Amino acid sequence: MNAPITAKILSLNNIEVVYDHVSLAIKGVSIDVPEGGMVALLGANGAGKSTTLKSISGLLTAERGEVRRGELQFRGQSIGGLMPQDRVKLGIAHVLEGRRVFEHLTPDENLIAASALHSRQDMNRNKDRVYSYFPRLHERRTVASGYLSGGEQQMLAIGRALMTQPKLLMLDEPSLGLAPFLVAEIFQILGRINRDEGLSILLVEQNAIAALEIVSHGYLIESGRIVMHDSAAALKKNPDIQEFYLGGAENKNFRDIKHYSRRKRWLT
Amino acid sequence: MDAISLMESAANGALIGLMYSLVAMGIVLIYKSSSVPNLAQGSMTMLAAYVVLAFANSAGAPIWAAISLAIITMFIIGLAIERVALRRLAGRPIIMILMMTLGLEIFLRAGSMTIWGGTTRPMNLGISDAPLFLGPLLINRAYAFGAVVTIAMFGFFVMFFRSRVGVVLRAISDDYTAAWSVGISVERGVALSWAMSAVVATIAGVLWSSVQGVDQSLAQLLLKGVTVAVLGGLDSIGGALLAGVLLGVVEGIASSVLDPLLGGASRDLVDAAMLILTILIRPHGLFGRHDIERV
Amino acid sequence: MLFRQAGIFHADYSADRALFPIPADRWMIGILLLLALAAPIYMNTLYLSSYLLPWLIWTAGALGLNLILGWAGQFHLGYAAVMGIGAYAAVHATRAGIPWEIAIVLAGITASVIGSVFAFAALRVKGLYLALSTLALQFVMDWTISHVPAISGGTQATLQAPDIRLLGRAVTSDAGLYYVALVWCVLVTSFMLNLRRTALGRALVAVREKDYAAAVIGVNSFYFKLVAFATSSFIGGVSGAILIGTFYHAVTPEQFSVDVSIQALAMVIVGGLGSIIGSYFGAAFILLMPGVMNSFISWATTKFGFSLGIETLAHLPQAFYGALIIGFLLIEPLGLGKIYNNIRDYLLVWPFGYTKK
Ligand SMILES: Nc1ncnc2c1ncn2[C@@H]1O[C@H](COP(=O)(O)OP(=O)(O)O)[C@@H](O)[C@H]1O
Ligand SMILES: [Mg+2]
Repeated sequence: MNAPITAKILSLNNIEVVYDHVSLAIKGVSIDVPEGGMVALLGANGAGKSTTLKSISGLLTAERGEVRRGELQFRGQSIGGLMPQDRVKLGIAHVLEGRRVFEHLTPDENLIAASALHSRQDMNRNKDRVYSYFPRLHERRTVASGYLSGGEQQMLAIGRALMTQPKLLMLDEPSLGLAPFLVAEIFQILGRINRDEGLSILLVEQNAIAALEIVSHGYLIESGRIVMHDSAAALKKNPDIQEFYLGGAENKNFRDIKHYSRRKRWLT
Repeated sequence: MDAISLMESAANGALIGLMYSLVAMGIVLIYKSSSVPNLAQGSMTMLAAYVVLAFANSAGAPIWAAISLAIITMFIIGLAIERVALRRLAGRPIIMILMMTLGLEIFLRAGSMTIWGGTTRPMNLGISDAPLFLGPLLINRAYAFGAVVTIAMFGFFVMFFRSRVGVVLRAISDDYTAAWSVGISVERGVALSWAMSAVVATIAGVLWSSVQGVDQSLAQLLLKGVTVAVLGGLDSIGGALLAGVLLGVVEGIASSVLDPLLGGASRDLVDAAMLILTILIRPHGLFGRHDIERV
Repeated sequence: MLFRQAGIFHADYSADRALFPIPADRWMIGILLLLALAAPIYMNTLYLSSYLLPWLIWTAGALGLNLILGWAGQFHLGYAAVMGIGAYAAVHATRAGIPWEIAIVLAGITASVIGSVFAFAALRVKGLYLALSTLALQFVMDWTISHVPAISGGTQATLQAPDIRLLGRAVTSDAGLYYVALVWCVLVTSFMLNLRRTALGRALVAVREKDYAAAVIGVNSFYFKLVAFATSSFIGGVSGAILIGTFYHAVTPEQFSVDVSIQALAMVIVGGLGSIIGSYFGAAFILLMPGVMNSFISWATTKFGFSLGIETLAHLPQAFYGALIIGFLLIEPLGLGKIYNNIRDYLLVWPFGYTKK
């Protein structure tokens, strides 16, 4: 079941996160992302996907969460103690759940704001790159971002992350609330960025169908624990995944569905 | 009441109003970069004036040197306020943040009084008392000087918020977490806004003291500053400028018309009424950003 | 240890929802009430009427403000103005010959009606803007009270309050006045204790957490904000009236200026947002602090043999007060009430380390 041994850009080993000193959100989470790879982290609402990403990008502190246990390594360097901006400097970019663009800034200014760590030349080069991936943003670069459509905001959020010249791009549910054709478009662009630039991607999704189409590997998280890890192809064939995430349970009656909700927990 | 003296009240009112704008600008600066409404701007202004006097009197520095030293000192004090008082409150409910700035207000005001005492002291910038003549209107020279400085500051800050650093500050006020996520050092940005605001307070303090002397009443500029800032839109520098002029003119006319009727002190009433009306009719002010709500 | 939960089993819901499910709490409150009732016997009248009495009234006032601030989550920078309205209403009513019992109810109603204006501000705006509009209303109120002779009583601006009469008998003894304050404080406290068990209390908290979310689950947030402002203003108005009737005996605008509003806020913040016991602590802390501070300063000056100017002495307590608010917000934002609860939680499980949430 293990991934072939390649250089790892990111490895989480037994991470445990506690919010407010009391509530345990994830426990014993271990994830590897290979250099240049594309990995999905799948799971239902509240499973701990966002928490996992925040532990990597260092945004937990703002929500009174902390990593209690385990080790976070980025290219072999331990990053557990670093401030968020230092992790960004290393090349970790986190596209937040719910897009979170700077609403009162224009898309252009959003991109500028995300270049705090770079020279003006770098910034202009990065902007050109982002606009070439997302021409639509260029068209709308002068309106307040709060008025962009959901898809455009998601593109902006991704573009904004690209401005930091990441080595690892982490996306938290980019498909949330978007029409399927937009999801397809965005995922296709992600695939292109991954291929063309060798950018490693960690994709968090509830939309397993779309995610498993573009990643090579996937992890499944349930109630704060990783319960399954396999190649995308194998995951797609897994009967449990088919039932719970790929909508394979259409022709069952309600009695069985109740039953599933109990069976759904693999390990707890 | 003849037309000339009414126009004179209006013109001087407009100039005074521009000096209110300077206090408001300090509030706007902080709000624009961290969404914190600073109720301590009045006492920062007062503290700054005392600091200038301390350099000028105790250290015997010439007034312009004293002002420069005070600007540096206040810059550091602004950084310190953010570091000590505000940083730990990031992300807390607005009630607590407001209460913190109120606590700062009391502390800075009473602290200054503890150190320097309550008697009014003059601050002489060497501006002559002789009025300027604008056609038939008599204009107070100190107000005119203050207005010119304010407009210069306004120009500076408009440019500043278009610069890269300025865009970063605006991004911070929009969304702290998102700012962190793209590598912005939110703490440093907010600290910078407090420091700049403290510098603006120094300039406002100097200008106001040259008109009315240095004492506790400088802290009461807070009400004017808040009214102007809200009227202009809390995050709009240009709004603060225009709203200052507007408030100054209304106050000037109102006080020359109403004071005889109401037995004085109608200025404060006008302020409070303007503030309430703005909030009820147009909470985001003349030029403030709307909260963009997409559900 | 003291507060043992072991062995307490609630057989029905009403027992489980009792105000004080733990016997140690019931005992403590009983003893405190007895002590409070007997205070005139063992306490010297100076302490009784210059510390205990204002403390009780301010606690009631702080509880009223806490209703708005801690429960409904609406900022209120004009609470002193509301108290002042009550005070002036009561004084004018009694001077017009209305019995005091009725006058304080009138005071409450007047304050409640005018105070509800704040609710209309709260309907339109939230958070910061509400804070600023309540601040502005405070200034308008100050101005109106001091500039309308019919209210303030003319140029002197000090209006004597007639002695209070209950059931036709004048209450002038220190003990009598103290009991008036005690009854009011106990009344407000039990109201607030019960509030959190009612639909109203829960709805208020829902509105505080997210008003549009509350609207989605069918809570009419405007109605509840209005009720919150009206109730809290009623409590404030009556507290203001009682403060004048039993403590100041005369009313001036400065007694209810913006500084006093901030002082009331400080009581709630220092005590703890939403905490009832905290309001007691907060009021005591803020009222006692200047006195303690002054004695400390005079002790320190004689002990260490330095002297401070008049100005310094006058302003130092105020500076300390500002520092205190800052300190509390930094160290324990939920105030003394939270500290009390932490200690209590610790004792609940002592000698074990953690409570299970
Ligand atoms: N800021 C927070 N404070 C306390 N608990 C939180 C916080 N954020 C998330 N949690 C809890 O952590 C668990 C995982 O949440 P999250 O990581 O957001 O899940 P997902 O992104 O998979 O939907 C949930 O039980 C949630 O209630
Ligand atoms: Mg999530």
